[in-house]
Amino acid sequence: MGMLQHDRIRATLREGHTEIRVLLIHPMASGREQNKMSVEAVSSPHFIQDIRCWRNGEQMLAVKCGPATAENPYFSFQLVGGESGDKIKVRWVDNIGQKGIVEVKVN
Amino acid sequence: MTPPIHSQRRAVLKQFLSASTLAMVASSGLLLPQCVLAHWPSDAFTAETVEDVLLALMGQAEAIEETGVKFTVGKPTKLITDGQSVTVEIASELANIERVAILVDNNPNPLVMSFELTDNVMMPLKTRIKIVAGESQLIAVIRAEGKLYKTTRDVRVYAGGNA
Repeated sequence: MGMLQHDRIRATLREGHTEIRVLLIHPMASGREQNKMSVEAVSSPHFIQDIRCWRNGEQMLAVKCGPATAENPYFSFQLVGGESGDKIKVRWVDNIGQKGIVEVKVN
Repeated sequence: MTPPIHSQRRAVLKQFLSASTLAMVASSGLLLPQCVLAHWPSDAFTAETVEDVLLALMGQAEAIEETGVKFTVGKPTKLITDGQSVTVEIASELANIERVAILVDNNPNPLVMSFELTDNVMMPLKTRIKIVAGESQLIAVIRAEGKLYKTTRDVRVYAGGNA
């Protein structure tokens, strides 16, 4: 902590496909986290449920997540084809309605 | 008031319960991937067994085949010291993949995540998940052209994740 942390996205053109890498900053709390000093749960569930990816406005992928997704979720996947200048957008929504958007242009 | 009435009530309740359970199973089985795509499938994420997850998430599909899916777990692959963040990579040569699910049988809720793919997405997929302490089976299931494909990997985790 202490450092400014924010969602990050990279889109890299490869031979015949575009590689997308996304890192989202989120606690992904299942509500089963415990304080070492007590047996009471210290958190209530707070986790991203839905992540979607668009290329130039067309939806490519949706990921449904449960609380067993690791803290600060990381994903990498490949889009077929693609060219320099494509707009990649990723949007997430969590179980309490918070959301975020990250966008990048393929270079 | 009298025992017969109570027992009747019980029977009615029982019937109602089993009927609603059946209805749930039927509707989940009939749900097309298109319908599920619109919202978070809570019945699949709260299910407590691998079978229930697959029924809720994958609907009716032909028999599961144990081929066609490859995956890599953790670095190094066999011993996982930190169950809070385990790298999983899934690859497959299958065409027309509609859905990829990652499950851990001993997590409180086995379903970890579900990818819904369009034709524009290619493997491999890579992500990080939580796995509880001890020995578990990590399961990757792919639905492609109405068929299910599954791969299982045994993992042993020293410090468990709060899955």
